Amino acid sequence: MTNKKIISLVLGIMCFALTAGICIQVKTVNNTNSKVSKNYEQNNLRAEVLKYKEKYDNLLRELEEIDEQLLKEIDKAAANNSELEESNKKIIEGNKVIGLSEVNGTGVIITISDSEIDQNSVLDSSDLLVHDKDILKIVNELKNAGAEAISINGQRVILTTSIVCGGNIININGEKIGSPFEIKAIGLPETLANLNRPGGFLNYLQEERKLKVNLKKDNNVNIPKYAGVLNFKHIKRDK
Amino acid sequence: MKKGKITVAITITITCFALTTVMFMQFKIVKETDITSIETMREEELRTELANWKQLYNEADEQYQEKSEKLKEYREKQQSTEESTKLIEKELSQIDMYLGKTEVQGEGIIINIKDINNDEEIPPISAEDLLVIVDYLKLAGAEAISINEQRIVNMSDIVYVNNSIIYVNQQRILAPYVINAIGDSVTLESTLLGNGGYVETLKNIGFEVDIQRQNKVIIPKYNKEIGHKYIQ
Repeated sequence: MTNKKIISLVLGIMCFALTAGICIQVKTVNNTNSKVSKNYEQNNLRAEVLKYKEKYDNLLRELEEIDEQLLKEIDKAAANNSELEESNKKIIEGNKVIGLSEVNGTGVIITISDSEIDQNSVLDSSDLLVHDKDILKIVNELKNAGAEAISINGQRVILTTSIVCGGNIININGEKIGSPFEIKAIGLPETLANLNRPGGFLNYLQEERKLKVNLKKDNNVNIPKYAGVLNFKHIKRDK
Repeated sequence: MKKGKITVAITITITCFALTTVMFMQFKIVKETDITSIETMREEELRTELANWKQLYNEADEQYQEKSEKLKEYREKQQSTEESTKLIEKELSQIDMYLGKTEVQGEGIIINIKDINNDEEIPPISAEDLLVIVDYLKLAGAEAISINEQRIVNMSDIVYVNNSIIYVNQQRILAPYVINAIGDSVTLESTLLGNGGYVETLKNIGFEVDIQRQNKVIIPKYNKEIGHKYIQ
């Protein structure tokens, strides 16, 4: 008799727990559902954003194709003419410097990420984060050290590239990028590695700001081409 | 008695199974809605994002039309050496413009910054100040920039030597600083002025900064050889 009582008690508790669980779940789902339906307008907007992003990506792919064909045409036109051959070479080399074609070479790879030490143990916890100005300064120092091509997390730094933060992330070429950052640079590795000198900016970030910084030389750094469109509208070409 | 026990046991098992299944289903739904809620941006953010992508798309489309036209031209004029020479020269001149090898002009702004000397409380304009202004100008869509006649090209650096001398393109420059930028003059100006604008900040510190919008800003060409040794 007591055995039966224990069994029914256990079963009772189990059923109660399960039902309670279901009730909580149902309530959560209801909550999120109502939030989603409230955001109906936002959902539409989100779909629109995705649509445009996709359209843009497709167009970029088509542009890439047309660029290739254009280069081929130039090649063809220049094939039998030594003067044009020279111009063609200048166009190809120019595209590399501007950032409109992929490049390889010797250089360095710098990785930098937010500090991992406890935020409460320092006075200013924003010191522990990588800021837009930090990246801007590193890129400027790389340029000073003779870098010929630079990318940040796969985004090629070109003439019009700005490095400005927007909240918790940094905006580069319109793409949102967050820690960890990987900055690649092509140039003479020994000179570029000089950024790591004692008392230098990287050293300061590591010692004073406690950020995680690493610089390594690499004999084959690959830097992609600029992923967007270069289209100047305000410069007047009258010559 | 035994038969009854078995029936009870089976019933309970089925009930438990059903309940557990329902719970798992619920879990799954919650997880799925969680993913969409991560993607949820605020409405305002979404609107800027949308405008941003629309603009990018339109710009790309413009360039697509332009390049298709160019390609057509190449194909049509393939037979004539003279014509294709012209086309290639045009292509090269555009590359030279992007490189900064040509003097350019267009709508834009001119920023004049007077430095403060011999003030113990306010440090003078530093290389970093200029670097940040240039960065904001790029953000505002500047197509060409120069500081005291030094053209800012892709690999231009702005550094401080001994915390007192500013070098741009490895050339020393002195105050007062004159920054020329070509682009949409209203956007360029408003990015620097107003709350949080960098020029506004400098003004608040006590610097004399003046921005002029002009229809014709001239920016000189980069005066050094642009070569490369390490990129392949």
